[in-house]
Amino acid sequence: MSGNGDVVLIKDGKRLDGRGFEELRDIKMEVSVLERAAGSAYVEWGKNKVMVGVYGPRELHPKFLQDPTKAMLRCVYNLAPFSVDERKKPGPDRRSVEISKVTSEALSSVVMLERFPNTVIDVFIEILQADAGTRCVGLTAASLALADAGIPMKDLVSACSAGKVDGQVVVDLMKEEDNFGECDLPMAIIPKKGEIVLLQMDGKLSRDEFKEAYKLAYDGCMKVYDLQRKTLMESMKKFVGEGGIENGD
Amino acid sequence: MLNIKDRDLVVPGDLIGNEIVPDMNCYMEGGNVYSAVEGLVRVDGRKIKVVPSSGGYIPKREDVVIGVIMDVLTGKWLVDINSPYICAMSGEEVSRDAAKTDLSRYYKVGDIITAKIGSVNEVYSCQLMKPWKIESGLIIDVNPKRVPRVVGKQKSMLNMIREKTGSRVIVGQNGKIWIKDGNVDLAVNTIKKIEKYAQTQGLTDQIAEYLDKESR
Repeated sequence: MSGNGDVVLIKDGKRLDGRGFEELRDIKMEVSVLERAAGSAYVEWGKNKVMVGVYGPRELHPKFLQDPTKAMLRCVYNLAPFSVDERKKPGPDRRSVEISKVTSEALSSVVMLERFPNTVIDVFIEILQADAGTRCVGLTAASLALADAGIPMKDLVSACSAGKVDGQVVVDLMKEEDNFGECDLPMAIIPKKGEIVLLQMDGKLSRDEFKEAYKLAYDGCMKVYDLQRKTLMESMKKFVGEGGIENGD
Repeated sequence: MLNIKDRDLVVPGDLIGNEIVPDMNCYMEGGNVYSAVEGLVRVDGRKIKVVPSSGGYIPKREDVVIGVIMDVLTGKWLVDINSPYICAMSGEEVSRDAAKTDLSRYYKVGDIITAKIGSVNEVYSCQLMKPWKIESGLIIDVNPKRVPRVVGKQKSMLNMIREKTGSRVIVGQNGKIWIKDGNVDLAVNTIKKIEKYAQTQGLTDQIAEYLDKESR
């Protein structure tokens, strides 16, 4: 992430895939995709494809980890070996352990863990195809899956990244921009209050550039939130019998 | 003041209103009431509750549940009730001298029972009472949060299913439903339909229509 002069990332005021500086990639969300999970979500964000399953609350073993005041929220972020150009060695590594940790901390700030003493809520984030910004996609999908599982939360969590490529601050970096750009700034917020639950920075930004990137990422998060909300509303249509009861099935 | 109407859909974090009393699945912060789950808002005067669309089972006193015997210990059984919390059942339920009896004579590991939850404490340790062994029949899974609709107001829905299919049905509040005799297939289909369209208005009438049509 030191910037690479050989690669042109911005041409005629447009990015490599023709997006403007403040434009997100196409996002597609779906919930209740896994039959046997308590809640699940599938998100396609540009070329990213992420599946999340939530299991629990369930009994926590070993027993000494149990906390009688609250539940434990365990996240596992896993990058599939086939998700990237060069096959990734399977299993947890330094990077995925870190992302699992920051994701579970971000989610713990909204989930009402005190409602389920002595238990654990397991969140499995599987990256099936990666194209930069996977921690944001994973977090967004995880919060959808938790809502789908009916676990009480104070709010959803929405995430989006911003960064700097070719000296220009842009939102939602894709793979080429992430690899050859100067900075990546993933961010997750609680949309209702605008509080930040995840903020990381890889690369360098000046104070003014940071403010601009922050604003772009924040606006991106709000756009993601609208989509999350719409997806959940859509999923509840059958629950209230909107469109009538089909007698065929 | 209400921000939304009765029977509106909400997702976690949606503002419901202020100067109202939060009842179920919502929380108050700075005088405002927000939803904590995805579901349907029901307004009852100043009381607000959100009917969740999914979720696990948390033991409650007086609930009838269907469970599986997990372990036989001295003087008690451990029972899996489809919940994060495992229930204990005292041997006193079947024998006066439970500590000295071999309890597997009554229920052994893997046996299925229906019982009532006697007591629950702050961390949801609970005691079962009045067990009844299930020997045959069919048990189906339903989302525990949608079970109340299968029972209906004053058991209206349940009695209708029993009457029209001629089946014996026991509804466990933990999302396990036991069905035996009569038109089992129709009973299963009906319950699955109720689960899927749980909060439809006039559901009882539509299910009655469906049952009439199918049981002709």
